[in-house]
Amino acid sequence: MKIVVTVKLVPDTSADKRIDPATKRLVRGGVETVLNPFDEYAIEAALQLKEKLGEGTTVTIFTMAPETGKEVVRKALAMGADDAVMLSDAGLAGSDIWGTSYAMAAALKKIGFDLVITGTQSTDAITGDVPGMLAEYLGVPGLTYLRKLEVDGDKVRGQRETETGFQTVSAATPALVSVTKSINEPRYPSLKGIMGAKKKTIVMMTLAELGLTKAVGSDGAKTELTDLATPPVRGKGQVVTAADGTEGARIIVDFLKEKKLL
Amino acid sequence: MHDVIAFIEHTAGQPRRVSLEAATKAKELASKLGGKAHAVIVGGGASAAAEILKGYPVDQIHVLDDAALDGFLIDPSVDALESVAKAAGPALVLVPNTMTGRDVGSRLAARLDAGMNADATDIVVNGTNVACVSPKLGGLTITTCAFKNSEYGVVAIRPNVFTAQAQAGAGEIVAIAPSGKSYAIVVEETVNEAAAELGVEEASVVVSGGRGLGGPEPFKTILKDLADELGGAVGASRAAVDAGWISHGHQVGQTGKTISPNLYIAVGISGAIQHKVGMRTASTIVAINKDGGVPIADFADLLVVGDAFAIVPELTRAVRSAKA
Ligand SMILES: Cc1cc2nc3c(=O)[nH]c(=O)nc-3n(C[C@H](O)[C@H](O)[C@H](O)COP(=O)(O)OP(=O)(O)OC[C@H]3O[C@@H](n4cnc5c(N)ncnc54)[C@H](O)[C@@H]3O)c2cc1C
Ligand SMILES: Nc1ncnc2c1ncn2[C@@H]1O[C@H](COP(=O)(O)O)[C@@H](O)[C@H]1O
Repeated sequence: MKIVVTVKLVPDTSADKRIDPATKRLVRGGVETVLNPFDEYAIEAALQLKEKLGEGTTVTIFTMAPETGKEVVRKALAMGADDAVMLSDAGLAGSDIWGTSYAMAAALKKIGFDLVITGTQSTDAITGDVPGMLAEYLGVPGLTYLRKLEVDGDKVRGQRETETGFQTVSAATPALVSVTKSINEPRYPSLKGIMGAKKKTIVMMTLAELGLTKAVGSDGAKTELTDLATPPVRGKGQVVTAADGTEGARIIVDFLKEKKLL
Repeated sequence: MHDVIAFIEHTAGQPRRVSLEAATKAKELASKLGGKAHAVIVGGGASAAAEILKGYPVDQIHVLDDAALDGFLIDPSVDALESVAKAAGPALVLVPNTMTGRDVGSRLAARLDAGMNADATDIVVNGTNVACVSPKLGGLTITTCAFKNSEYGVVAIRPNVFTAQAQAGAGEIVAIAPSGKSYAIVVEETVNEAAAELGVEEASVVVSGGRGLGGPEPFKTILKDLADELGGAVGASRAAVDAGWISHGHQVGQTGKTISPNLYIAVGISGAIQHKVGMRTASTIVAINKDGGVPIADFADLLVVGDAFAIVPELTRAVRSAKA
């Protein structure tokens, strides 16, 4: 079985993220680029499947990102993936959700797969819309928000989280699944893994190889950032010490009444 | 874009509140764009949901009531929306920014080659131009994103920011022809672990607990009692979720849910940046913490310094008598 895991490279979550007011794009320089934390669960899920299915199962990492992200991709390889493909092209700059999904789908079709595993959201865009769009453009079933995943022959089955519990869902492969952080505990790369990753192949792919019929990047984007604003700063409010529970409760009730929340 | 279509997410005929918010907003936007407002309801109980929708200002309610469709995931809804959208012509489609809403909306956007705006907290119409406002990077930046190059646009609206206004519209019921298809993704079983309670994304009041609560019990007792009294939902910090005290669906923050309730009460939560980004857009924030020097002191409207175990039960009682 050929598994492809899509990972996004994002600015470090603990870093101060910002958007350049002139270009209206996320500033990626200056802050460290890391693997989208949600995608580590997707990599782990793929590696666990590989361990279970054994011989003949491969895990390929895919990312659409500038070439400078290569070292970050190595981290994914160090976890145990076999190889990686990077779709890097200046023409992709300014892609919106649509363009990202459309271009990624073409690249994944070219790579070929039985199963695509994605994270549920990226920490920078936080749209959570790429997996669904991707599944549709790939023309395969999209089983989303899985907290349990198993593959049996050409069938993929999982537990899809819902607001009130879960659903057991299944479909035939080829398929796409997105996994949540409840599914596993991502491993740390071992020293051996880190050394081994240096020798693994990262194939570079460009737009020209995809033969897309629609424009992507900022020209083809179907949405455009027109304005940026800084939200009003939440000022420091009142801090009141309560002598006991009753007093604490009274302070809060008075406050809620004043705010017309009670 | 002319017409506006609201996807109605429902449970056995009971529309989620965000869907009613979408229906109300759809009409307002359609009036500005000079088009019609549609609601699309699919699955078992769709007709019952349509009756409720008649009390909201939409022009047409498209219904596909077939419980057999609940045996498939998402695809029947995407098909139904696609057929309504194609019949309507260039349109704006509103879906709730919930798990199901995002899935349906993103798949529909691909079918229609449409632009997609995620997590909108406002939708602005300027002539024929439609733009969406959305907090990004955990609320550090507010972006406005306009649709261009696309006939159709899909917007996932954040629950709780638009008002649902009961006011009957034309409410013409239109039956959607069943596609007769069998779909690829089969739902083998649906299990409700928690009673069908209001999710943190939709509740207008959220009472969250953190590591300070020390274990799973208080989430089910004192926190739940307060949330119930306020008609709200129970949320949690990641520390509480990671400790296994409450399930991940309740987590608020960077790796959990981003919410905008009217009132957010943080109990035994320090207010780390990753928690803050999930709730900073709440209208009012109240914190209860035994330590007055915690980060949440800097952005809560009120921090009461004291013991949660003493204050919360008293607060529940006080709210009850204040309401009486
Ligand atoms: C990549 C990343 C993503 C993250 N995502 C999230 C996220 O989505 N959501 C999230 O919440 N966190 C997230 N975190 C974790 C975050 O950094 C904090 O560790 C976490 O929010 C702390 O939870 P807490 O406030 O419950 O615990 P603590 O920081 O330990 O705070 C507990 C508080 O309880 C108070 N307390 C103790 N006893 C009592 C009592 N009897 N009465 C009243 N108060 C009491 C203490 O004074 C203390 O302030 C993330 C971290 C990382 C690195
Ligand atoms: N540029 C990208 N390259 C590879 N995978 C991506 C990219 N953007 C999004 N994804 C995948 O889509 C998931 C959801 O991201 P998003 O829809 O951007 O919140 C992520 O967890 C990734 O698996």
